[in-house]
Amino acid sequence: MRPITAGILGAGRIGKIHANNVMAMPGVRLKAIADPFADFKEWPGPAIATSKNPEDVLKDPEIEAVLVCSPTPSHADFTEAAARAGKHVFCEKPIAVDAERVRATLETVKRSGVKLQEGFNRRFDPTFARVRRAVADGEVGDVHLVRITARDPAAPPIEYVKSSGGMFADMTIHDFDMVRFLSGSEVEEVHAYGAVLVDPAIGVAGDIDTAVISMRLSNGALAIIENSRQAVFGYDQRIEVFGSKGGIEAFNETPARTVLRSRAGVRHENPLYFFLERYQRSFVIELEAFFASIRGDREPPAGGNDGLMALLVVLAAKQSLVENRPVRVEKLASAAPKKTR
Amino acid sequence: MKPTTVGVIGIGRIGRMHTENLVHAVPDAHVKAVASPRLDKAWAENLGIPVRATDVDVVLDDPEIEAVVITAPSGKHVELIRRAAAARKHIFCEKPVAFEPQAIQQAQAAVDVAGVKLQVGFNRRFDPSLLQMWLAVRGGKVGEIHQLRVTNRDPKAPPVDFVKRSGGLFFDFAIHDFDTIRFLSGSEIVELFAVGAVLVDPEIGKAGDVDTAVITLRLANGALGVIDCSRQTNYGYDQRFEVFGSKGSTFVDNTTATTMVSSSKRGVVADKPHETFVERYREAFVAELAAFVASVREGLPVRVGAADALAAVRAAGAARTSHLEHRPVLLSEAVQSAGGGQRQ
Repeated sequence: MRPITAGILGAGRIGKIHANNVMAMPGVRLKAIADPFADFKEWPGPAIATSKNPEDVLKDPEIEAVLVCSPTPSHADFTEAAARAGKHVFCEKPIAVDAERVRATLETVKRSGVKLQEGFNRRFDPTFARVRRAVADGEVGDVHLVRITARDPAAPPIEYVKSSGGMFADMTIHDFDMVRFLSGSEVEEVHAYGAVLVDPAIGVAGDIDTAVISMRLSNGALAIIENSRQAVFGYDQRIEVFGSKGGIEAFNETPARTVLRSRAGVRHENPLYFFLERYQRSFVIELEAFFASIRGDREPPAGGNDGLMALLVVLAAKQSLVENRPVRVEKLASAAPKKTR
Repeated sequence: MKPTTVGVIGIGRIGRMHTENLVHAVPDAHVKAVASPRLDKAWAENLGIPVRATDVDVVLDDPEIEAVVITAPSGKHVELIRRAAAARKHIFCEKPVAFEPQAIQQAQAAVDVAGVKLQVGFNRRFDPSLLQMWLAVRGGKVGEIHQLRVTNRDPKAPPVDFVKRSGGLFFDFAIHDFDTIRFLSGSEIVELFAVGAVLVDPEIGKAGDVDTAVITLRLANGALGVIDCSRQTNYGYDQRFEVFGSKGSTFVDNTTATTMVSSSKRGVVADKPHETFVERYREAFVAELAAFVASVREGLPVRVGAADALAAVRAAGAARTSHLEHRPVLLSEAVQSAGGGQRQ
């Protein structure tokens, strides 16, 4: 296996997870991590170069692949800078919350001839990947319905809510990607109902914390997403794909598989607490897939276009929420002016 | 106290089931008469029912009969309710009482004037699991309700002839789901958005109906709801319910005929859900009639009446309008404009 030298921009929560995963990954050498705000005293140790300057990663000729794990507003700039430097890019979602900015970035990546993978980690979760395989292999027949329940265990701090781009851009974007991934189809139209039921401060900040979203897909199927910012019993992540031959459902995963029977009832385990626990393996597998696509010179399995399509659905859902009407996704896409050259 | 004397009007599939339940499982009821234009007299005789008529008047004119169970075709419900009420008989009527809200209001007025009871056949309200869920939710176990979800999928698409006279998926099928949402939440549907599709059988589409639908809705208490419907699962009658709130969640799963699980190289396999509503809601169908008879005997209000039928039909009308006009519909708007029944 040809070794690949990688660098990481951003040493926050997700940057650390990726860094630790890459450090443990055969065939990949993590050379450097840059983050202007990290102190790097305890972590990552002497084997990895650290810097406060992103240029130290972007200008290093030895680094072949860059993982962009910085705050969302810098994703597009770093992705473009890395691509121009001839480096393959793995970028956390979303590249940007503005579709034109994403399009421009994808154009730069294309011209640079590098690979771009976006961090839709749930596609790589073994359970959800199994559901996709069942659909692709025809085990449920033609897809009629896709249903996703996605609830966080606790509402984020209000400061985070303000900078998140809203629940749809921050949270539901994963679910929109799952609808596309599981169905193998595009979201054609979306309608969203939203509510503030968890924390009034979220409403004051102009966002919602509860939503039900219905969609019509280009293959004719229908889809539903249920979201909440707070399920007190844990991270509630379930999906179901139903079709002409039957349905397949994925349940929550738990830290252990026990059932406690007593006078008080039959007690099952709560779901794994949050995404770090629930999707631990997916973060490893998505990077393995990224490096494998570099080695094998193949298209990465979750590319920039997937990010763009998910973002367009997010924007349509936002518009639907504001105007309380179904919004066509493709119209929104074509309504945006093409970048002139 | 002697059993309450009951007559059954209309003996189709549901009529037979109700009659058999009354005879075998509701000791406080005595089925004196059945009336149906296409009566299977041998069947009625085997059940020990003394009066077997093809003419409904035989039931309505019998002074001994205190209560009637109406399971005639939907189009005849309101007329039969009016006649039964005029004859001072308490009434159990299958859902929907009518497709038009005005007709349900007329039926309500007739029973109010006569001072008789009218219970509507929303059987799910009497299902032990859904009753337990109702107790848990209304008892505050999930805290404030944030989301409700109903999955309602039939095992096999009905014949197109049935689809044509059924009133359509929203009136015939999802109507139970609207009632279930109201029942569990204790709140009213304020607005909904329905999107339907023809994915099971193109003939259903040609008949002007849909066979797959997703309905999202807003309730007066602020909660949101989701209903998903399909006319055909191929794996049984899929009935799942979830209520989620500030303190947690409750879920009612499918029931199965047996609980056996077999494991082999090919997988771990359990029973499919019950094949039809008759098996899935067996206890509920008995309990709703027992409750009706008890209401009659003890002079208590019925647990589900014309007002509930009216609300569910309004929601169904709004859902149809939403699907056809491709927009969210306020129920207050549907009050003014909903017509029911067949659509082209």
